[in-house]
Amino acid sequence: MKPPGLAERPALKPGCRLSPASNPESLLLIPEGALRLHGPGRRILELCDGQHTLADVIDQLQMEFPSAEANRIAGEVVTYLSRLHEKGAIEFL
Amino acid sequence: MIAPPQALIAEVTHRCPMHCVYCSNPLEMQSADRELSTDAWTAIIRDAAGLGCFHLHLTGGEPLSRKDVEQLVRVARDAGLYTNLITSGLGLSRARLKDLVAAGLDHIQLSFQDSVEETANAIGGARAHAYKLRVASWIREHRLAFTVNAVVHRHNLDRLQEFIGLAEQLNADKLEIANVQYYGWAFRNRDYLMPTRAQVAKSLPIVVAAQERLKGKMRIDFVLPDYYAKYPKPCMGGWGRKLILIDPAGRVMPCHAAGVIPGLQFENAQDKPLRFIWEQSDAFQCFRGDEWMQEPCRSCERKGIDFGGCRCQAFLLTGDATATDPTCSKAPERSAVDEAVSKANRDDQLNQLPRGDWVYRIDPVMRA
Repeated sequence: MKPPGLAERPALKPGCRLSPASNPESLLLIPEGALRLHGPGRRILELCDGQHTLADVIDQLQMEFPSAEANRIAGEVVTYLSRLHEKGAIEFL
Repeated sequence: MIAPPQALIAEVTHRCPMHCVYCSNPLEMQSADRELSTDAWTAIIRDAAGLGCFHLHLTGGEPLSRKDVEQLVRVARDAGLYTNLITSGLGLSRARLKDLVAAGLDHIQLSFQDSVEETANAIGGARAHAYKLRVASWIREHRLAFTVNAVVHRHNLDRLQEFIGLAEQLNADKLEIANVQYYGWAFRNRDYLMPTRAQVAKSLPIVVAAQERLKGKMRIDFVLPDYYAKYPKPCMGGWGRKLILIDPAGRVMPCHAAGVIPGLQFENAQDKPLRFIWEQSDAFQCFRGDEWMQEPCRSCERKGIDFGGCRCQAFLLTGDATATDPTCSKAPERSAVDEAVSKANRDDQLNQLPRGDWVYRIDPVMRA
């Protein structure tokens, strides 16, 4: 699969959603089960609303985590979302 | 500490308008007059969420034979659960689907019996195929996950390519291709359903090629026919490890077929909390760990992978639920599987359709 473009808008696929914020554990619920979210995972996915572009998501994360290296954040967001795309949990609009 | 189950499988009814010859429901079903009330299921669903489940699978029979499925979906959603409806599509109208989605349904699994109407209806014992196609088009009017369940066997495996094409055409997010597993009614009809070795061999590259071609578009899960496998399947992800199932009358079980094992006492969800039943009841404890295992399982390096296979299958094929699952190539009683496989590969008569001699699943009979 080709890597996503910066202008594309990532979104959770139908049937995929974040567990309610009230749950003790943060999960991405998907048809096959659930993925435990670690670190900034939940924050990244909150931004995947079909409105923000991939570039927006990266910008936002870089802003919220100023101590981390900007390039590294960009790389990790792309890898993370590509992996979830392959799992069928994310689509690019 | 025993980790909580990931999912509650709620078999809300055994009633079904389909009569599939491979139905996995038990031969002795729970009748409508024994079914739990809406209030009882409501309490159970909340209890399961409290226990730590995050998925609810509503199944049956045909769950939509009950009028309260929308209500149960809403209860589950409010309790924080992800809800999945496993249905034949019969009992679903465009309006009812809309209500289910509004109630918070996340995922729907729609079964198909074949890509060709005539055989599909012959296998299902109902004129259902054309209606299912309509249901599929309604599903795509909503934003929810859509899986097509394709059960494959001797009489449709040769059309696997077309079956995959049907799921693509219906725009499914996922296709689950499951070879028939021989429990319940399928065990009764096993000889007629078992594919030949050549059919199985031909199907594998078709699946792999489709998985590659449809990557990112439609996921394809494939359940191998375990009679042709070298090692048994880790049934239910291991006994009492991941899943908790409740039958229409409230019996709490480690799997849908466990009722065949003599001597197992199932607690009722109306009498005791699920946590107690999951963590302490005999039916869940008896095949956890490895103390119940016989050789070669107990000293096998795969015991943590497949847990000795399926207990129900071990019982059905050997009469002993603690035996090694005979689908394992190391099983002392592998001959029980080999004989069935050999018959399937020898007897061309089994290819005939329609069959007068297979047993269609019937509806549960009300108690007098």
